[in-house]
Amino acid sequence: MSDARAAHPGLYRIDQNPPSLLGQRCAACGRLAFPPNPYGCEGCGAEADELVTEEIPGDGELAAFATVHLHPGKDIETPFTVGTVVLDAGPTVRATLTCATDDGLAIGNRVHTQLVPQQSEDDGELLELRFAVEKS
Amino acid sequence: MPKTLRDLRPVRVIGIGLHPYQRASDTSYVTLGLRAVREALTDAGVAWTDVEAAYNGTALLGMAPTRAMLRHLGATGLPVLQVENASASGSSAVAQASLAVASGVCDVALAMGVDKPGMMNVASAKAGVRDLSGSRILPFTHFALLANEYMRRHGARPEHLAQVAVKNSRNGAHNPYAQRQKARSLEEVLAPPFISGSLTRLQCCPIGEGAAAVIIASDDAIRRLGVPADRAPRILASVTRSERVYEGARNFDAELTRETTAQAYEEAGVGPEDLDLIELHDAFAIEELLYVEAMGLCAEGEGAAMLMKGDTDIGGRCAVSTSGGLLAMGHPIGPTGVGQICEITRQLRGEAGPRQQPDARTGLVHMVGIGAVCVAHVLQL
Repeated sequence: MSDARAAHPGLYRIDQNPPSLLGQRCAACGRLAFPPNPYGCEGCGAEADELVTEEIPGDGELAAFATVHLHPGKDIETPFTVGTVVLDAGPTVRATLTCATDDGLAIGNRVHTQLVPQQSEDDGELLELRFAVEKS
Repeated sequence: MPKTLRDLRPVRVIGIGLHPYQRASDTSYVTLGLRAVREALTDAGVAWTDVEAAYNGTALLGMAPTRAMLRHLGATGLPVLQVENASASGSSAVAQASLAVASGVCDVALAMGVDKPGMMNVASAKAGVRDLSGSRILPFTHFALLANEYMRRHGARPEHLAQVAVKNSRNGAHNPYAQRQKARSLEEVLAPPFISGSLTRLQCCPIGEGAAAVIIASDDAIRRLGVPADRAPRILASVTRSERVYEGARNFDAELTRETTAQAYEEAGVGPEDLDLIELHDAFAIEELLYVEAMGLCAEGEGAAMLMKGDTDIGGRCAVSTSGGLLAMGHPIGPTGVGQICEITRQLRGEAGPRQQPDARTGLVHMVGIGAVCVAHVLQL
C-alpha cells in the first residue's frame, strides 16, 4: 500500500476506512461544498483563501442510480452503476457505486464510501472512491 | 430601469429556412448554412443585401466559420458574429439578433445556426475542478439519474418516459426537415439497446448536422420591404439565464428552466395557460416531463398524466414539440434553437400542414445548454 495513491488526488483521504471526502467550508458564508476548488465560493463569491478544507464523512443516502451501458473511456468496463448520494453532512455528490448493476438497489438505501483498487498504467496502485450500498 | 425586449420597438420573424437535419456526411457546413439562409430570404421575400447584421450560432466548427460561409451570398461587409452557448448557441444567436433590431441599431438581422458533429471540446473540463464522476456521467447518464429519481418520486414508469419519444416520433414523421422521420411504437422505443438507466437509444436525441436560419426585422423594415405582416410573429420576450446555487433543490435543470420561463412569461405578459405550443429541449425523453412541469403547464409530478391524456399532442391543449423535438427532428447543436423558432413561426402562420396545431397563436421556445444555461423566447401572431 505504500505507493498507493488516490485516483482523484485531493478529493478524499486514502488512509481511512471508510474514507472521508475532502470538501471546503466557506469562512464567509458557511457553505459546505464538494468538490473543492482553488478559485472562490460559488455561494457568495468569497476568494479562495476563505475556503477551508473540511473532511466530510462518507455516509449518506442513495437519491438516484443508473446503470451505464455506453462509456467512451477505458477506465471501467460496462455495465457499471453510478449514483447520486446526499451525504449526511449536506452536499450531494455523484460517483460510481461498488456494484456493477442496479440489482436490488433502492432509492433511500444507506451508502458508505469505499476505496477500490485499480491498476494504473505505471503499475502503481490507484485507489478510487466509490459508494457501497446497504441493500434493504 | 433596465428594459426588456418588449419595452423596445417590436421585432418580428419575417423569414425561416432550414437545411434538413441529417447524419454526418461529406457535405460542407457552407452548403448546409447557405441552403438555410437562402430559404429564409426567399420565405421572407427579401434580398441578402437587405440584411444588415448576422449572428451565427455554432459550437463545434472552430474559429471564424461565419464570413467564410456568408461571403458566397455576396460579400456585403455586414457585421458578423459567431455565437457559442453550447446547445443554446442558436437560441442565443436569435436573442442577439432580436436585441440588435429592437434597439434600433439595425432593421433586418439574420440569426442562424450551423454545425457538423465534431470533437466536443468542453472548456469546463479544463477549469481545474475535478469531481468523482468525470466522464462516467455524461449527459445521457445525468438524465438517466434524473429519470430514476422522477419515476420513484412520482410513481411514473419507464413506459411513461418512452411515450414522450413515441409522441415526438409521430410528430417528426410529418417534418421533412427531421433527422428521424419514422413514427415509433411504444415497443420500439422501449426495445434495447439501453444507453443508461432506463433510457434506450430512441429516448436519446440523434446528434447530426444541419442548419437553420431566421430573418428578424423591425416594423419599419416590414413596411419598407413590403413583407406581409400576417406571416411575421412578434418576439414578445427573450430571456437568458445561467444556473445559480439552488440549495436543497433536487433538480437544478428544472429550477433553471422554472425561473427562466417564469421571467419570459412576465416579460411577454402571458402565462402558461395562454400557450398553444412549445418547442423544448428534449435531448432525453425525461426532460419533456421535467420541463412541462417547471414551465407551469401542470403541477409537479403530473407531466406523465398530461402526456398520457393527449394534452401535449397536436390538437391537444398545448402541443409540445410539433417538430418532433430534439428526439425526432434531431439536435445538431448550433442550429437547434433556431430550428425551434422556425417551427413555432410556421405553426403560428398556420403553414405546418399535417402537423399543424389548430388555431396556434402563442408559442414558447426553450433550450438548455451544458454548463448550465437556459434561453427562452415567446412568440405571438
